[in-house]
Amino acid sequence: MAYSNFTLDTVRRAFQLEIVESAGIFSEASKVVPQDRFIAELAERVELAISSGTEKARSELIVTDVLFELRKHFNRRISFFSGIEFSVDAEQGLTGICDFLVSLSPILSFLEAPVIILVEAKRENLTTGFGQCAAEMIAAQRFNKEKGNAIPCIYGTTTSGTEWRFLKLEGVRLHIDRAVYPIAQCDKILGILASMVEQKV
Amino acid sequence: MAYSNFTLEGVLTAFRLEIVESIGTFSNIEPVAPSAALAAELEKKVPVAAAINTEKARSELIVANVLFELLEQFNRRISFFSGIDFSVDVESGLTGVCDFLVSLSPMQSLLQAPVIVLVEAKKDDPAPGLGQCVAEMIAAQRFNAEKGNDIPCVYGAATTGTEWKFLKLKGNCLSIDITVYPIAQCDRILGILSSMVEQKA
Repeated sequence: MAYSNFTLDTVRRAFQLEIVESAGIFSEASKVVPQDRFIAELAERVELAISSGTEKARSELIVTDVLFELRKHFNRRISFFSGIEFSVDAEQGLTGICDFLVSLSPILSFLEAPVIILVEAKRENLTTGFGQCAAEMIAAQRFNKEKGNAIPCIYGTTTSGTEWRFLKLEGVRLHIDRAVYPIAQCDKILGILASMVEQKV
Repeated sequence: MAYSNFTLEGVLTAFRLEIVESIGTFSNIEPVAPSAALAAELEKKVPVAAAINTEKARSELIVANVLFELLEQFNRRISFFSGIDFSVDVESGLTGVCDFLVSLSPMQSLLQAPVIVLVEAKKDDPAPGLGQCVAEMIAAQRFNAEKGNDIPCVYGAATTGTEWKFLKLKGNCLSIDITVYPIAQCDRILGILSSMVEQKA
């Protein structure tokens, strides 16, 4: 059992989550305008990622750049990790590799609490990533608490690079935003991620 | 059996390759200066990739960016693929997913011959990737021949992003350059990759 085995339904039952679906819970976040270079290259990278079609290409050409831009926005006061093992509770299946995660610590050489955003990359069909992402969010909640760095909310996103969906976990309440944000609104996506880092949403 | 099962010794025996090792096979190639944008990005991304230190982060933050630059330098007349299934001959074990490959066709939605450069990414040391890379190069040779698009040489690179090693396969003669090219010499790396695309290496 590992993160990738969870569906939204199994994670809900295993951890007694209360799921709240709503439209646009993140829509109030202010936009963060990316640097010129990012915008200049984005169209081409998106086009290439779409035609390549793999989760790997989408992660490399789009998701990584968005997270790197987020880190720049915060003057490197945050860290992001890619493809690291994040095993928190083997008995409950909270083990496995996370596609990406963002921590509020600036340290990159090892993962420090608090972990704030869990990113699950998918080639298509973002809803299939909800269970896995939610399981990783629960693991982050426990990880932070164990390290004495509990924060009220943990956030998540499932993304194909070209489309993004957002989640929020507060205690046992999992909020799922029904809105789908296209990468064309990258200022909005960066704004939402930034507001997560600032714990304002 | 798949590409990842091949060691260098195993692939040499299985396909009766003749091996020529030398220092600096590719070192006299004219360097190609990276764009200012790539140089600036690498300066920031290389330390982050090395700190996170997963194959995934190294691929995303360094290798994909170098190959994207190669694509730009050839004005999109070539294509690169990331994480695609490249299965050519199941019986001989020439099947599996390639980390990256470059084709001389501009078609990005579908892999077309001739496949020219095979790139194998590794976390710690490029050397253990050589066997796998050579197996993929043999597969490319067969793939190209089957599609009636025979080219004299197929090239390979095994890389951690920060260190690169290069290979050349001509018929059954495999040349291994035992020089390790560091990413600080990005102009040399781009020069070598460009000359491979131009089949001058």
